[in-house]
Amino acid sequence: MTTLAHPRPRPQRAVLRLHRPALLGWAVFVIVVCGLLLCVGGPLTDTAVMDPAKIQRYKDWNNYTTSAVLAAPFLIAAWSGATLTSRELENGTAQLAWTQSISPARWLTAKLALPAVLITVGSGLLVGLHHWAWSRGQGRTYAAKQWHNIGTYSANGTTVVALALSGLVAGALLGLLTRSSPASLAGAMCVPALLWGAVTLATPYLWPTVTTVSSLKLYTAGGSGMSVSEGLLTSTGARIADPGCGSDTDKTCRTLYEKLDAVSYFNDYHPYSHYWPLQLTATAIVLAVTAAMTVAAFRLLKRRTGPAPARKAAAV
Amino acid sequence: MTGTAAIEAAALGKRFGRRGGWALRDCAFRLPAGRVCAVVGPNGAGKSTLLALAAGLLAPTEGAISVLGTVPGAARERVAYVAQDKPLYPQLTVAETLRMGADLNTDRWDASVAQRVVADGDLNPKSRIRTLSGGQCTRVALALALAKRPELLLLDEPMADLDPLARHEMMGLLMAQAAEFGTTIVMSSHVVAELEDSCDHLLLIGGGRVRLAGEIDELLAAHVRVSAPAQTALEPHPVVESRTTGRQLSALLRPSTPLDTDWHTSKPSLEELVLSYLRNPEASAIETPETAA
Repeated sequence: MTTLAHPRPRPQRAVLRLHRPALLGWAVFVIVVCGLLLCVGGPLTDTAVMDPAKIQRYKDWNNYTTSAVLAAPFLIAAWSGATLTSRELENGTAQLAWTQSISPARWLTAKLALPAVLITVGSGLLVGLHHWAWSRGQGRTYAAKQWHNIGTYSANGTTVVALALSGLVAGALLGLLTRSSPASLAGAMCVPALLWGAVTLATPYLWPTVTTVSSLKLYTAGGSGMSVSEGLLTSTGARIADPGCGSDTDKTCRTLYEKLDAVSYFNDYHPYSHYWPLQLTATAIVLAVTAAMTVAAFRLLKRRTGPAPARKAAAV
Repeated sequence: MTGTAAIEAAALGKRFGRRGGWALRDCAFRLPAGRVCAVVGPNGAGKSTLLALAAGLLAPTEGAISVLGTVPGAARERVAYVAQDKPLYPQLTVAETLRMGADLNTDRWDASVAQRVVADGDLNPKSRIRTLSGGQCTRVALALALAKRPELLLLDEPMADLDPLARHEMMGLLMAQAAEFGTTIVMSSHVVAELEDSCDHLLLIGGGRVRLAGEIDELLAAHVRVSAPAQTALEPHPVVESRTTGRQLSALLRPSTPLDTDWHTSKPSLEELVLSYLRNPEASAIETPETAA
């Protein structure tokens, strides 16, 4: 059966028309931040070498762009919570859409799918450029942040994209639940915040750490990266807290370490090679929560409006 | 019972929230296709809930409703619905609203119908919806509904914010639609007089239940307004309402046998009939044979 003879509804076009201002806003945001990231990764990095003013300028703009990338999920959650479903239920236009020829489920699909694609593309671009700008700074300027700096770590990876999608879905779900624009706006903004907080706290434990044991001659434990736990090892292999004395070349420290029966430093940490396993695990967790919220939104809609009829063969 | 019913309800009930009151309960009726049906009842009687259930906007809490022979969700293409407050997207223009209608509907959509309805109201297609008056919004909402070429048109208080002239025009438009395409039209109102001339079927809802259902002519013919001396025994006729003023008893009856010839009888008006039932919630519900579900 050909579908050409029966042109099907095109809810995507209606969604685009309804949310044109938001689409333009998102496009402008992505373009501006991308432009700034190109600047930070390009000329600002290249010049941030000797001149303290230029180094400061690099640091400032690096911070601004990192904040902008991290703000994206919250902007999306605010928009989604305020307008995507809540306002439509508040003023009855959702019912208008549902009494055209598309089912409520199809309406929600269109409302989520198209923004989800644009959000993935836009935030993916932001994250990609942020990562590029960060990697350009490595070895070129000492002002560049380390990979495990909290803001840099988040803005460099795919978790932000997943958080942005969670903001979108949270807004839609809370809009259906509360049917009130302000309530769902406030609630939706909390979701990426909570998820980000939870994922950030959990990050060190999302992948097995590497342990290095280093000599007490050093001032601190060896091993560079995201440290999870560090301290001293005793002769029996027990782990004790590092009093922070420093190298045992110093006499008082050596006495202290002898008294503690400490023989070496240990450091459980994530080296840079763990960056993507950590990021992708966190992304998967956020996406799983997002998927659960999506299912909840469709279930809620179905419970309210009754079962959707099975589509006929023409739908293929 | 002949042909497919436009709407058929059996033990239909809807409760909002787990502990909320019942907006509609034990509703059973059958509306034959091709009728122009008035859904009448006081504010809060459950009219809007019934129409929303028929439009597939709400799931019933209990019982079942079928629309055009199928579940409401499967009949979306063939059913049009205009909600009480005529919701439209305020940020769109009239033309964009109609384009949205074309995007959200199948090939049943007839853009020329929509354009004609809008043009008849002297609406500028470039005006934003938010700048329109209530009556103009009703016209746009109706354009969206009629362009679907529905088999069943559900209108919730369609005339509420129209001036008498616009009301007359709109009613003309609807009656033409019903006559030309055989569209079943169901419209609710709490003003009976508004619908008396144009409707041939009545569904009276009170306290969340169906009180009267049937062809208006048959319902009127089944009732008699009676004047008789006070203390007259009205049995065995079921009494809808009776009132004694001085030595005079006036009552609305549903005669079961030929009436006493001493009584003065007259035909009640539709409004009298409706008001009598609404004033007397204990009067038993009546459905004409064709509409008994």
